[in-house]
Amino acid sequence: MGGACSRKRDQLVDEDIVLGRNSGRYCKSGNSKWLGISTGRPAVDIQQVGGSRPSLMELCISKICEDIDKYSTFSMLPRDISQQIVNELVYSKCLRENSLQAFRDCALQDLYLGEYPGVDDSWMEVISSQGSSLISVDLSGSKVTDGGLICLRDCTKLQSLNLSFCDHISDCGLHHISGFSNLTSLSFRRNSATTAQGMSALSNLVNLVMLDLERCTGIHGGLVHLRGLTKLEYLNIKWCNCITDKDMEPLSCLTNLKALQISCSKVTDFGISYLKGLRELALLNVEGCPITAACLNSISELGKLSYLNLNRCNLTDDGCEKFSLLGSLKVLNLGFNDVTASCLVHLKGLTNLESLNLDSCRIGDEALVNVIGLCRLKCLELSDTEVGSDGLCHLTGLNNLESINLSFTAVSDIGLRKLSQLISLRSLNLDVRQITDTGLAALTSLTGLTHMDLFGAHITDAGTNFLKNFKKLQSLEICGGGITDSGVKNIKDLSSLMLLNLSQNHRLTDKSLEFISGLTALVSLNISNSRITSAGLQHLRPLKNLKSLSLESCKVTANDMKKLRSTHLPNLVSFRPH
Amino acid sequence: MVCVLPGLGREKGKEGEERVVASAGKMRKEDTLKLISAEGFEFVVDRKAAMVSQTIRNMLTSPGSFSETEHGEVTFPEISTTILEKICQYFYWSLQYASGKETEFHIEPELTLELMMAANYLHT
Repeated sequence: MGGACSRKRDQLVDEDIVLGRNSGRYCKSGNSKWLGISTGRPAVDIQQVGGSRPSLMELCISKICEDIDKYSTFSMLPRDISQQIVNELVYSKCLRENSLQAFRDCALQDLYLGEYPGVDDSWMEVISSQGSSLISVDLSGSKVTDGGLICLRDCTKLQSLNLSFCDHISDCGLHHISGFSNLTSLSFRRNSATTAQGMSALSNLVNLVMLDLERCTGIHGGLVHLRGLTKLEYLNIKWCNCITDKDMEPLSCLTNLKALQISCSKVTDFGISYLKGLRELALLNVEGCPITAACLNSISELGKLSYLNLNRCNLTDDGCEKFSLLGSLKVLNLGFNDVTASCLVHLKGLTNLESLNLDSCRIGDEALVNVIGLCRLKCLELSDTEVGSDGLCHLTGLNNLESINLSFTAVSDIGLRKLSQLISLRSLNLDVRQITDTGLAALTSLTGLTHMDLFGAHITDAGTNFLKNFKKLQSLEICGGGITDSGVKNIKDLSSLMLLNLSQNHRLTDKSLEFISGLTALVSLNISNSRITSAGLQHLRPLKNLKSLSLESCKVTANDMKKLRSTHLPNLVSFRPH
Repeated sequence: MVCVLPGLGREKGKEGEERVVASAGKMRKEDTLKLISAEGFEFVVDRKAAMVSQTIRNMLTSPGSFSETEHGEVTFPEISTTILEKICQYFYWSLQYASGKETEFHIEPELTLELMMAANYLHT
């Protein structure tokens, strides 16, 4: 229990979301991996007649998927139809190596087999029979080997290839793809077997726009082979901890780079100096690199930079005056650096800032004076800082603020009144022990809130009355132990709730589940460490959207949970006890 | 010529004869549409049902006024009678489904591929 109470949630801003990259048809596979979504429906979707009634096309396709073993070939079908069939088979996990045979010579354009079970070299022949029609292939997470990649040589028009997490591919395999000069997108994540020697194969891929080499831990010295890839716009070498300053030198030629991620490498200020000339660079992620504020000398020359992630670097106030030159910045992450108010002074003029992360920095109330003029700010992260109630008065003019994280700060009830005017707020993290019902009472004007975290706050049943104002709440966490069933009664009409965490409130009984039974939008529910019993589970039956249910340390057994899932909650994918 | 009582199978009529058969009572001619198969079989269906097909809907509603709009008939030289009949059944099934009667639509395995090509063409 102690662990749960002192939890610290990492706020990760996904660089790719910031960039606004969308899932285009031909690079969908690579993108979806970057977004952490691997099970999405293929981008090329089945036609919808409108509404929820299935189209005749859908009915036919699912009929075929049912009887897939009865078909020996689909090559007589128009390409777009066989494409829809194969997409559906992949989506419904009904495609097997033998059923794939029916798609030989179907002129398919896309094969998104990322993370698909059973994919190995035996699949490659049919894949390659698509020939020059094939534009996009995702084989990530498969057992395909170097030998299997030889098959792809006929697919000369390939534009997008995803070979991430393919542990059986080595330098040798990379050489088999060196002829794909049409390739615009290549993902090759987490391949520790790749070395500088294998990287030489990439030098021919002159049309590459996107290259993802995240977690390739042996590629140092190999980036010289990228020198000629001047069309490259996105380069990800995050977590390649072998990368040093020397590897940055060849990147200076990639003048079209828009996004560069080198976080968690060994690059220092000197290495950053090679990036000065990358005038198109809009995103730079150097989180966790051993760099200081001296790197700002180079970074300040990047006139188009709008996203800069300097979390977990070795920054101190020394040299921070150069921040004032980064006027185009929209997102700045300075979390976990040893910076104080004297650094923040230099952010005053960055009026384009929409997101500022100061997590765990050494800043207090007076430092926030420098934020007053940043009126475009939507997101402010102040978790684990020394900010207290007095500091919040500097935020009252930030009318665009949508999200603020005050967890583990010194903020108390009296300060929350200053937030009451910020009616744009959607997300509020008040995981602060000294916050009580009184503080909550001051926030009732924030009726637009969709996310509220009161994890460790001291909220009692009386305080839950104020929650009724937040009708749009989609997620709510109150785990301070002060709530009983009558407090839960006040939550029962928050019908937008999708995530509800009431764990640690040890007095809650089955009666609470009865109140919750009307919250049918719930996707995740946690009431661990309470007096819930198996008899109460019946109240959860209407919660058909529930995917995650945690009732740890209650009078509920794994068997009760399994029964509930099989008879009433088929969408439940995660449950405890299990 | 052949007309169809949607959902109840095919009814033979005399050569050249045209009959409008609707599921409930008589229908006015302007509310119906004649769909003609490759072999020349005619299916008279409710316009509303035929509009389930995006392609037919476009024909009937586009401002360029296809000749189909005026004559109230559409010929499908590439769709066989069996398939067109199945498609008409789907139109009515789809309307019922939308109104809450969620039954299963049966598809014979041997028709699936051909039906799918027609569905693709008719955008339905």
